[in-house]
Amino acid sequence: MVDVGAKQSTRREAVASGRIMMQPQTLHLLTDGALPKGDVIATARIAGIQAAKRTHELIPLCHALALSKVTVDFELDTQNSCVHVSAMCRLTGQTGVEMEALTAVSVACLTLYDMCKAVDKSMRIEGVQLDSKVGGKSGDYQRGSYDLEVPPIVTGESAAGEVQLGERCVGECVRVKFLAELRERLGHSDLSIALDALETKDVAGLKALLAAREDNFDVLRDQRTLCAVNQVMVNDSARLTDNDEVAFFPPVTGG
Amino acid sequence: MNIAVCIQTQAFDMAYGYEDLLENRSDVGAVVSFTGLVRDFNESPEVTGLTLEHYPGMTERTLEDIGQQAWQRWSLQGIRIIHRVGYMAPGDPIVRVSVASAHRRDAFEACDFIMDFLKTRAPFWKKEHAREGDYWVKERASDQQDATRW
Repeated sequence: MVDVGAKQSTRREAVASGRIMMQPQTLHLLTDGALPKGDVIATARIAGIQAAKRTHELIPLCHALALSKVTVDFELDTQNSCVHVSAMCRLTGQTGVEMEALTAVSVACLTLYDMCKAVDKSMRIEGVQLDSKVGGKSGDYQRGSYDLEVPPIVTGESAAGEVQLGERCVGECVRVKFLAELRERLGHSDLSIALDALETKDVAGLKALLAAREDNFDVLRDQRTLCAVNQVMVNDSARLTDNDEVAFFPPVTGG
Repeated sequence: MNIAVCIQTQAFDMAYGYEDLLENRSDVGAVVSFTGLVRDFNESPEVTGLTLEHYPGMTERTLEDIGQQAWQRWSLQGIRIIHRVGYMAPGDPIVRVSVASAHRRDAFEACDFIMDFLKTRAPFWKKEHAREGDYWVKERASDQQDATRW
C-alpha cells in the first residue's frame, strides 16, 4: 500500500453512480413492494453502506477508512425501466474515498439484483462510474457533461470538420439541418431561420423561403428529399414552432 | 420487451448479441442473425472503404421502433441490433441483427423484417470511397420493394 502518513488530512468527498436495467414489470413489482424478498430498496441501501465501510477488505491496496458519512440513494426510472443508484462518501483524512463510493454503488446494484432475480434474470448492471471527487492532492474531478452527449454526426471525408453555422436570428426561430449528400450539395450544415420570415409556419413555408433565397434549395422540393421535425418524419403540412429542429436528408442507405 | 439497440464507431464482434440473448435462459429455441458487411465492389468496381453517417438521436429511436414493431408481430424472446458508423474498410461488419424465439419461423421472419425496415427507414447514409473518388450511395428500388412485403 502507498504510505499516506505524510499526507495532509483534508476533507474528501466522492460521488459515484450506476444503474440496473430491468423489465418494466419487475420495476412495477419493486415500486409496489410486491417482491418476495421484501423491502428491496431499504436492503440495498444498507448493503451499499456496509460495503463502503468494508472496501479495504475487497480491494487489495485500499486503506481502511473511518468514513464520516455515507449515503446511498435510489431513483426509480419507469421511462428507461431502470433504477439509478448513487452513493456519496465523505471523510477528513489522508486518502480519497472514490473506491468506497464505487463499491457502495456496485454492491447496492448487486443487492438489487439479488432481491429481484426471482422474477427477472435479464437485469443488467451498467454505467458504474465516479461522478465527482473533492479534496486531496490530485485535485477535484467532475465528470464532464460531454460524457453523456450523443456522438456527433459522422461526415464524409470531403466535408471533414466543416460545420457552417447559419446567421443567428432574434426572436422565435427554427434550427434547420442538412444531412449527408444534401449538406455537401447545398454547402450548408446548419441554418437558423426566423419564424416571422415564413409566409406559412410549416415545412412548405420553410422550403419556399429557402428556395427564394438560393436556387440550390429547390432540391428540398424534390420528392426524394425527406424531412423530420424534432426527429420525427413529417410532410410539407407539418406546423413549425419556436426552436423546432428541422432536418432535411436524402433517402436512407444504411444496413 | 427485450430489445437492445447500439450504434457505435468501433468495430464489433461477429458474434455480437448471441450470448446476451441466451444468457440465463433455456427457453430459447432459435436464434437467427444477419450480418451486413462492406463489399469491395458496389456502384464502383473497386471500393476502398466507406463512411457511414447517421442522425444521432433519431437513428436510435427509429431502430428501437422497428424492434418494437417486430415484437408486436411475432412471438419473440429478444432482439439485438448493432450498427456501425464512421469509416469502415471492405470486409468489416456494418450491421448485425439477432433475433431469439421459441420456434425458428418467428426469428427468421422477424430478422428479415427488421433488416428490410432498417434499410428503408433508419437514417443512415453511405458514402463510398473508390479509386475514382468519393460518392454517396444511391437508394435501391429493390429495397423499397422488399419493405412492402410486410
